[in-house]
Amino acid sequence: MNALVALTIANIKSYVRDRAALFWTLAFPLIFIFMFGFIFQGGGGGGLTLGWVDHDASPESAELHRAFTALRSNELVELPEAEARAQMQDGEVDAVIVVPDGYGEAITAGTAGSATAPASITVITDPSRSDLAGSVYQAVGAVLGIVNLGGRPPLVVPDPQTIQTENLNFISYFVPSMLGLSVMQVGIFAAIPLVADREKLILKRLAATPLRRWQLVGSNVLMRLLIAMVQAVIIVAVGVVFFGVEVTGSIAAVAAFVILGAMAFLALGYVVASFAATEDAANGMTSVIQFPMMFLSGTFFPIDSMPDVLQGVARVIPLTYLSDALRQVMVSGAAFAPLWVCAAVLLGWLVVCFAIAAVKFRWQ
Amino acid sequence: MTVAIGGSPVIRVRGLTKRYGDVQAVAGVDFDVAGGEIFGLLGPNGAGKTTTVEILEGLRPADGGEVSVLGVDVTRDADALKPRIGISLQTAALYPKLTVTEVIDLFRSFYATSRPTAELIADLDLGERKNAQTKVLSGGQRQRLAVALALVNDPELVFLDEPTTGLDPAARRSLWDLVLGLKAAGRTVLLTTHYMEEAEVLCDRLAIMDHGKILEMGTVDELVMKRFHERAVRFDRLPELTTAELEALPAVASVKADGGEMLLYTSDVGPTIGALLALTERRGLEPQNLAIRRATLEDVFLDLTGRALRD
Ligand SMILES: Nc1ncnc2c1ncn2[C@@H]1O[C@H](COP(=O)(O)OP(=O)(O)OP(=O)(O)O)[C@@H](O)[C@H]1O
Ligand SMILES: [Mg+2]
Repeated sequence: MNALVALTIANIKSYVRDRAALFWTLAFPLIFIFMFGFIFQGGGGGGLTLGWVDHDASPESAELHRAFTALRSNELVELPEAEARAQMQDGEVDAVIVVPDGYGEAITAGTAGSATAPASITVITDPSRSDLAGSVYQAVGAVLGIVNLGGRPPLVVPDPQTIQTENLNFISYFVPSMLGLSVMQVGIFAAIPLVADREKLILKRLAATPLRRWQLVGSNVLMRLLIAMVQAVIIVAVGVVFFGVEVTGSIAAVAAFVILGAMAFLALGYVVASFAATEDAANGMTSVIQFPMMFLSGTFFPIDSMPDVLQGVARVIPLTYLSDALRQVMVSGAAFAPLWVCAAVLLGWLVVCFAIAAVKFRWQ
Repeated sequence: MTVAIGGSPVIRVRGLTKRYGDVQAVAGVDFDVAGGEIFGLLGPNGAGKTTTVEILEGLRPADGGEVSVLGVDVTRDADALKPRIGISLQTAALYPKLTVTEVIDLFRSFYATSRPTAELIADLDLGERKNAQTKVLSGGQRQRLAVALALVNDPELVFLDEPTTGLDPAARRSLWDLVLGLKAAGRTVLLTTHYMEEAEVLCDRLAIMDHGKILEMGTVDELVMKRFHERAVRFDRLPELTTAELEALPAVASVKADGGEMLLYTSDVGPTIGALLALTERRGLEPQNLAIRRATLEDVFLDLTGRALRD
């Protein structure tokens, strides 16, 4: 059997048989998600606050306004369009409905049977707040159902639009952040078994066989990537199934960032393994790297609200960019940095750390 | 027993040196090992045996000297050597969470050709533990597994660093048989040991090392004969007899009092014993546990290093 495959399988067996390590890598992010998920899940259930922009000001638009207000306990705030969009950005209103100029005429023409096209109303929602978007469409559907009575072609159709708001639904923000965090752990914790193997002289023993160093490193990378992917699937599945997180971006993009992020943190882990003489030292160094990353990457505290010095740190550490990228591609979160910048920063960390490890790593 | 060194040796070491800070671990070592030979490095703790062996295996760089193994210059091209040699480190290095079978299979995957796992397990008598994770193996079982790993690729040359340390007498003997079997199959073995008996049973030739130097080298017989032409007459110490009296006995070359034991090294056993018995009779004494023995490796070692072989 190919040495790379055999060694990867051996690594996976060793990993899976270490129940404590297995539990912590798999359970840790889930515990966080469930904990924060249940704490912050409340707040739904009430009526929607809708921004109401009426460019038509006709009796027909007033009727539509009544229909919306009558439905459940929706609150309609009448606003100019720019103001409505701004308030939605700030989370003051959940969605915005725009009645275009000429709506009344279109309805009249439609009822008379002389319409060429149905009238449209614009419905602006935030795709990342899937629970809200769903409620808005329910409401819109109910209202338009009333308007479109009869077997005729519909008089009014919704014209969906989306805008990104700053406040993602908390759990939608949190799940990709947790994914980033667990990818970081899978990566930097690669240092510990490697240092342990060196302490046990296993690496020295392997050095006396024809096994190539790239095969040894490759098997370690493969195994860690596999763990990262398994973890990603579990975390995303829990987010989707239990907390209604909607993955709006492409799964491929999520996978790509999970892999890139895992590689960058693996390289960082190898740097730790290069400088830590013992397993204990590796544990210590890993914690020293892990905790600041966890708290400065914008997962728990917004970066903007940090003191300048810490903001500087946040702008450098890879987890900031990994979590940011994952939020963008998973739930269309607002960008801290453009995706290509995130990818470039992660790639930079990967290359630099790998180069350091390649020079400094000792096998015995 | 002398081994004819025909053609180029399997191992050729010249002027090998290695220093760790203040410690000159290897201080100019020269030796050859011929194909099909079992060669032993014998020496007390810290003598430089492991350092020497690991330089030959390509695991540590030398400071100076030439090392050629199987015709390969180890300092330049250790990779060319790796498929052809088998090694066991002084401390067995094993993946703790893999089973005996899994570890052997893993190592087999590193080589283009390898011996069947079942055969290795049978040879090293690990059958009962083949599905046990290595972390629960006893010291002797770990050692045996390490030797099994050294044989995975059916190597031409095997390095065994203290292969029997920690083994019980039965396991030690069965490992000796295994090593002799390797020799019978035409393999070359370089081993280190602390056990004189092991060196006597196994080694065609051996080198006694201390302080990074080879003090003496040859077959067991050569080593013994070089220092001690004499036989030793031993008996329980009799305080009434002075060393001077004993030295005056015929054919006695030297006298050593070692604990409760008296040793007369003699070039002619008959006259010495006759005179000794006459002397004791005259003094009304009776020598207890009187015995004649050849000088052993232990005597050589004691003489060379001033230390007993065993720790
Ligand atoms: N990596 C190292 N760093 C520093 N000193 C070392 C190192 N390896 C060996 N030494 C020193 O070199 C000397 C020779 O050690 P070596 O392990 O070769 O002895 P040895 O003959 O194998 O002893 P033992 O019978 O105890 O195994 C010792 O004094 C040891 O402390
Ligand atoms: Mg040693």
